[in-house]
Amino acid sequence: MPLFGELFLSDVIKQSVFDPKGEIMGRLRDTIVIKGDPLPKVAALIVERKKELYRIEWESMNIFNRRIISTYLDMDSVKPYERSEEDLLAVRDILDKQIVDANGAKVVRVNDIKLEGYEGDAVLVAVDVGMRGIMRRLGVEHGSEEFLRLFGTSLPYNLISWNYLQPLKPKLKTISLTVPRQMVSELHPADIAEIISQVSREEGTHLFRDLDIETAAEALSELKPEMQAEIITAMEPGKAADIIEEMPPDEAADVLSDLPTEKAKEILEHIEREEAEDIQELLGHEEDTAGGIMTNEFIAYPPDASIAEAFERFKKDGEEIESAYYIYIIDEEEKLIGVTSLREMLLAEPTTRLSEIMETKLKTVTPDTDEMVAAEIISKYNLFALPVVDSEGFMLGIIATDDIIDRILPPAAKRKRRRV
Amino acid sequence: MTRWRRLILFFAVMGPGIITANIDNDASGITTYSVAGARFGYGLLWTLIPTTVALVVIQEMVARMGAVTGKGLSDLIREHYGIKIAFYMMLGLLIANLGTTVANLAGWAASMEILGFSKYIMIPVGALSIWILVTKGSYRAVERFLLIACLLYFGYVISGLMARPEWGPVLTSTLVPQLRWDSEYIVLSIAIIGTTITPWMQFYLQSSIAEKGIKKEDYAASRLDVVIGCLITDIISFFIIVTCGTLLFPHGIRINEAAEAAAALKPLAGEYASLIFALSLANASLLGAIIVPLATAYYICEAMGWEAGINKTFKEAPQFMWIYTLTIALASLAVLLPGAPLVSLMVLSSVINGLVLPFVLIYAILLVNNEKLMGEYVNPRSYNAIAWGTVIVIIGLTAFLVVTAFFPIAPIGGST
Repeated sequence: MPLFGELFLSDVIKQSVFDPKGEIMGRLRDTIVIKGDPLPKVAALIVERKKELYRIEWESMNIFNRRIISTYLDMDSVKPYERSEEDLLAVRDILDKQIVDANGAKVVRVNDIKLEGYEGDAVLVAVDVGMRGIMRRLGVEHGSEEFLRLFGTSLPYNLISWNYLQPLKPKLKTISLTVPRQMVSELHPADIAEIISQVSREEGTHLFRDLDIETAAEALSELKPEMQAEIITAMEPGKAADIIEEMPPDEAADVLSDLPTEKAKEILEHIEREEAEDIQELLGHEEDTAGGIMTNEFIAYPPDASIAEAFERFKKDGEEIESAYYIYIIDEEEKLIGVTSLREMLLAEPTTRLSEIMETKLKTVTPDTDEMVAAEIISKYNLFALPVVDSEGFMLGIIATDDIIDRILPPAAKRKRRRV
Repeated sequence: MTRWRRLILFFAVMGPGIITANIDNDASGITTYSVAGARFGYGLLWTLIPTTVALVVIQEMVARMGAVTGKGLSDLIREHYGIKIAFYMMLGLLIANLGTTVANLAGWAASMEILGFSKYIMIPVGALSIWILVTKGSYRAVERFLLIACLLYFGYVISGLMARPEWGPVLTSTLVPQLRWDSEYIVLSIAIIGTTITPWMQFYLQSSIAEKGIKKEDYAASRLDVVIGCLITDIISFFIIVTCGTLLFPHGIRINEAAEAAAALKPLAGEYASLIFALSLANASLLGAIIVPLATAYYICEAMGWEAGINKTFKEAPQFMWIYTLTIALASLAVLLPGAPLVSLMVLSSVINGLVLPFVLIYAILLVNNEKLMGEYVNPRSYNAIAWGTVIVIIGLTAFLVVTAFFPIAPIGGST
């Protein structure tokens, strides 16, 4: 295990490499990188001694860290190295190169490469594309940090995880790294959101525009409100409406509420009437209340429906609705009278009526309840969703746990977001 | 290819070479030629021929690199030689170009004063308008403005013709080199080369070729654009020297600035010659004050991997916009502040330019000979000989210039 923890490539390049006797064998020039699972890894080091290059396999390394690099091999047993175009060399082929998206537009430059010890290998975990990387390469990272501390600021870290950087060809030979389009749509929307927030604004918008509507809708709801507003504003109203329509109404309302009123109106006009009404209804509530975080998509059936009938209807309704763990029971006036869960329904006989298995001691909130109070109720009674009813008992919507969690604990992509 | 298709192709790729070379004749260039003409008459005209050859060779080289690689020079330097070299080169360019911008704004102020406007009004007006043009305008607007402004350089040709020189001696002086062991003569001849071949131009030309998306297949047409541009720039230089050599030199009028030349022309050649000279200077200075800071912001952002572009906003490309804004703001302040060490600033700038230029040229030659990068478009052997020769001469001359900036061999003008 020559490498524990993490280090930057520039920390070790040009450092002395020691042999077992503790004598300097040469200086580290470059590292050969090969494809690894899940991340690319260092296969060998290239060491320069008296203008000659030598190759030392990673397996022959004893210690590899910021302070010391040593090998088990002695000088006589190291093999000479011929630089070859077939090898991917970290310094020669990756450092200082541009990271471009699949269209070839410029994004950022690789200022440094972050390595991490993982199962005995040194894997490439991220590239540094920020000011900190530049400072480190110039040998003034520490000094700049001290200097900035005087002004109460600090150097930001701008790292792009290697997960999002794939070379164009399997041989890892191309100069430009890329976030290939196909790969982007295969990523989880939360990861796409993270990439979009890490690259520059223009590239982010560009990347976003190429996603299919479904993925775009999911990725959009993971972004910070300002970023959402920027991206939507830059889009044609029609295309924006398509994406917003795809989102659950509560998230759609969140996005629209951050837009200039004119723009929001224009987009709403392009959205199907029924959907637009749902959104507009939600837009009427204060942001940090139960009404502001609830969604008006839920499943509700009459009390005299049988379990078999309910399942039949659920097969159609459940497909379109994000949060479908509970079935609400409403009377003819649409007043909430009970709730049951999918679990209860599965355990019951198909001929049973919903009224027979429903829970009638309901926990509900009104739309103006504070979101933290709603969160406390959800937490106390271990609910997946909490119904929102008006003063007369009409059901308005539900608050799903994931929306509450987003409020209490911002999603990972929103917390770690950094601008390049 | 038919003759027509060739012509159309040329017009499509035309621009970068001609614009770059024209703007090369900025305030400091015009000053150098005016002083050379006033001080030595036609004596320094011959230096224009070797200078033009060197300029063509070097500009053609970077233009070819831009067309083949599709990348700017600072991109390539960063990618092949690492961040340290790129960073220090950019730092040098930043300081040198700040000095060049000061010179240009000073030229603008001086020409405006000849026309009767106070510099305390015209500097803020000029600085603000070029700032707005770039930060608020679009790329198309800027490019159109530049192309139209380039036409105004022909004012110098007109003033040269109005001076009615005797063409015989002019031609002889142009074709027959004369060497004089006179410190001022040597310094001026070096200054002519130094002001014609500058570091920023190489970066600017390569970037604009790359940005225009000129392909290597169209390169032949682009080469013509570069060569024509270099010829035009030195034809303008030629007419400036001829004007001052014809009108000022016989009267022994000593000048130190281009604006003084315009003022001195008035009693000798009349209101119009003076007016044309001053207007052309104002135009050239303002163009330089747009392009030099703009170019600086471009290469630095290219090399550092920051967002850049005229079409972007402060929020989208903060480093780019701030470099441009601060360069113009600091330079305006330097020109406006009474007692600011303008002359030392400009000398410092030309010294740093001189120090950076050999490095820029050496890296450019190494890159253009890199087969991995350029494929079959590497320099032919004969070409390399001229390029390296040029570099060696420039290194020698700039070393001499830098040394004399610190240890003047004799007080300038004191030797005759």
